[in-house]
Amino acid sequence: MESYLSGLFFLPLLVSLLLLILPKNLVKPLVIVAAVALSAMSVIAFSNISGAQYITAPDYTNNIVFGLDVLLLCFFGWVAIQRKSLWVGILSVVQLAGLIYLFFNLSHTQSAQLMVDELSGFMFILINVISSIIAIFSLKYIEQEDCSPFRRKYFLSIIFWFIAAMNLVVSADNLEYFFLFFELTTLASYLLISFRKDEVSEKNAVTALWMNQIGGVALLSAIFYIHLNQLGDITFTNLLSNTGQQAILLPLAFISIAALIKGAQMPFSKWLLGAMVAPTPVSALLHSSTMVKIAPFVILRLSPALKDTSLSMVIIGLTAFVFVAAALGALAQDNFKRILAHSTIALLALMIMMAALGTPTTTIAALVLILFHGISKSMLFLNAGILEKVFHMKETSDMDRLSETGPFTAMVMIIGFMSLLLPPFGAFIGKWLSIETLGSFAIESKLLGALTIVAVAFGGAILTLLYFKVIGVLINRSGETDKISFEKTGMIYRATMYMLLGIITFSIFGLPWLLTQYFSPVSEATLQQAATVTSEGWNMLIGSVSLPIVPLAIAFLMLPATLLTAMFIRFKNVDRAKEYMCGEKVNYSFGSFYFSTEVATPWFYSIGIAFFLAMLMVSLL
Amino acid sequence: MTNMYISIILIIAAPLIGGLLYGFERIVKARMQRRIGPPLLQPFYDFFKLADKRKMVVHSAHAFLGIMHFISLWFALAVLLLGGDLILVIFLHLLSSALLILSAYSTRSVFSHLGANRSAISILAYEPVLIIIAVSIFMLTGSFEAGAAFSSNQPLLYKMPLAFVALLLVLPIKLKKSPFDVAEAHQEVTGGVELEFSGIFYEAVYTAKWLDYVFCYTLIFLFAGSNLLLGFALSIFTFIYLNALDNSTARVNYKQMLRFSLGVSFSLAFINLLINSLS
Repeated sequence: MESYLSGLFFLPLLVSLLLLILPKNLVKPLVIVAAVALSAMSVIAFSNISGAQYITAPDYTNNIVFGLDVLLLCFFGWVAIQRKSLWVGILSVVQLAGLIYLFFNLSHTQSAQLMVDELSGFMFILINVISSIIAIFSLKYIEQEDCSPFRRKYFLSIIFWFIAAMNLVVSADNLEYFFLFFELTTLASYLLISFRKDEVSEKNAVTALWMNQIGGVALLSAIFYIHLNQLGDITFTNLLSNTGQQAILLPLAFISIAALIKGAQMPFSKWLLGAMVAPTPVSALLHSSTMVKIAPFVILRLSPALKDTSLSMVIIGLTAFVFVAAALGALAQDNFKRILAHSTIALLALMIMMAALGTPTTTIAALVLILFHGISKSMLFLNAGILEKVFHMKETSDMDRLSETGPFTAMVMIIGFMSLLLPPFGAFIGKWLSIETLGSFAIESKLLGALTIVAVAFGGAILTLLYFKVIGVLINRSGETDKISFEKTGMIYRATMYMLLGIITFSIFGLPWLLTQYFSPVSEATLQQAATVTSEGWNMLIGSVSLPIVPLAIAFLMLPATLLTAMFIRFKNVDRAKEYMCGEKVNYSFGSFYFSTEVATPWFYSIGIAFFLAMLMVSLL
Repeated sequence: MTNMYISIILIIAAPLIGGLLYGFERIVKARMQRRIGPPLLQPFYDFFKLADKRKMVVHSAHAFLGIMHFISLWFALAVLLLGGDLILVIFLHLLSSALLILSAYSTRSVFSHLGANRSAISILAYEPVLIIIAVSIFMLTGSFEAGAAFSSNQPLLYKMPLAFVALLLVLPIKLKKSPFDVAEAHQEVTGGVELEFSGIFYEAVYTAKWLDYVFCYTLIFLFAGSNLLLGFALSIFTFIYLNALDNSTARVNYKQMLRFSLGVSFSLAFINLLINSLS
């Protein structure tokens, strides 16, 4: 296992260094080879994991980690001075002071710093495969970006060390190590968001920086608390082994807060929304396979300890609220990327909620959502990039007639949206599992359960409405031409789309297999509790929930088949009629409906803050 | 096993039953207005007339989505009648409505678009209520399957009267009856989503409406459990209520509809859910 882990860490690191120094013509082959190698390695690593394996790093790495931490925080301090941001400055100083104190007072026990289990393996696949595809996509995208050749290489380089940092975030057991990699992802997002170097980029990058630094402070607080109260090693394993004790609730709350900030839950959603100004592959990266996925990952990691605590109730309450609020926010947007961003926040809330519920079925639901959301969102964001660079469109209202000018892009986007929440794809299973398990949850925990169901039902309806609204724009066409010819967007763009389409197709047809061989073992290892996926007659049993196979399979095929056929079908022997216009001869522009949430947004943020405070309160009591 | 046969016969005959219901409804509605009204079989006469018309489409995708709306709705109804999972049924029904909405969005017709926007809002108005009702049923029967509700000995109505009222309040939205018929409002958006269909292609959308009748009345039957008599009584009550309401109220706009549905109907269903979960 050690060799896989060091491969997954050092290979992207090496590639990121090489990218900076190698000449331009070697960049493309290097990125592609690295992408393939990383993807393959992550899959092999996953298939070789059985049970949790602890890896002890050599003694001197403690000093390296400390040194890097200090360097990192000094850099943040420098950013604070340069951007005149008081917040960043204060947070950096606080973290630096805390870190130095800890370094000299914390006994560095010989317990393992890294731990790789099935859940880490699951994340490896998501991180490496999806991020690799995004890296390949960026090759072409960044060429069309207006910047110096060196900055182009620099951009790709960040992506690769970002991947390296992510691979270690999901395999850190020691919280000090986790803190370093957590902060490294913060740094990566800061550099990527500020990549365009204009005023808005810098401003939003600083926002992202200080918000994520609050997460860093929360993590340090957790370490402090464990250290001062002598609760044992500062590792996840130790926390989980003390499950059920009141004393570990506060550190759990701190770690959860750090996770929820990464997961852009309200009121911290602002940093993710601001990240939109960066080049589009950055959004694809942050939203699908890296950064925000830390949130559901950490909650899943902690879920055995969180389950049935007052803390998890607050987290469930918060995410239920965010699910609805962010879905409403999405309905208010016209900018395509903003729609995607709001729906990311909503779906993240759903994932975190499922993780916090902590039953085998909800854990499977969370995993399914994490994976499929990663695939679909990366596909949609990459398409947003294509729209921007090839078609010069940014708003959904401009996309009118895209099915005539860019039928392939329109088709891929339709598939992407279908895969987000609707059958036949996995995310639908996720949502369904949530509603059905929440039914049982409501029987146990009454009011909260009932409210949560309402939130899921309501938020789900809003999101469905949203996706159909956008699909509606994408299939809009006049009846004047019947011919469809796929547009040319460039080899790399097309190739990445085919890769993602391939992964989606594989996931649809392989879903029964994936459920039993992929999701269920991971959930079992995470919870240390069997999550059975069996078939009984015509039903598939996932934990306590039974899914009828036949109607599901038919529904699975019907929707995508219908929408795809609709794009290509041409009836014979029919006459064409002009649309009814009441006799008018005016050119209409087609609008859609929006809900304005501007008035409500401050309220949303206040409620979010109240929930975050409540997380600390209930843990203290 | 006999239940199974009955379900299958009902599924196959659903368009027929729906057509008759629609024909009868037109008579009842006319009588309420002191008119004589059309013959009972008028919907079927219309059906044959439509089949005879010249085939016209705006474009093929639009017409095809209309046909798929019909097929997917029939499928949703089949799953419901066979006692399938209610959450699945609601999703399938949502899908079929969504296909119709998409077909309207796919054209460049102003009125279709207006109608589609309004239909989408209507979904937002009734879908959460339906899901809450399904969850309430789950709390009482311990299963999301419609079959469990059909075979329960004690009619669910006694345990969830508020949910029934909530259902009565959202049915006019689903069946596009006044005061909640904004989605097809003939005087305003000339039929909305249906506008651009004609001839044999309109047939699909037209008969889908019949299926929707059967779908809605099956939902009513859910509340009666195994007590068929009560089921018929509830259906007759609902029938009269819907037509009286349709005849006696004026259309509200979509904002009022949304506010009413989420404020009143949704709250009723939710209170019922709370009572069920607390008891």
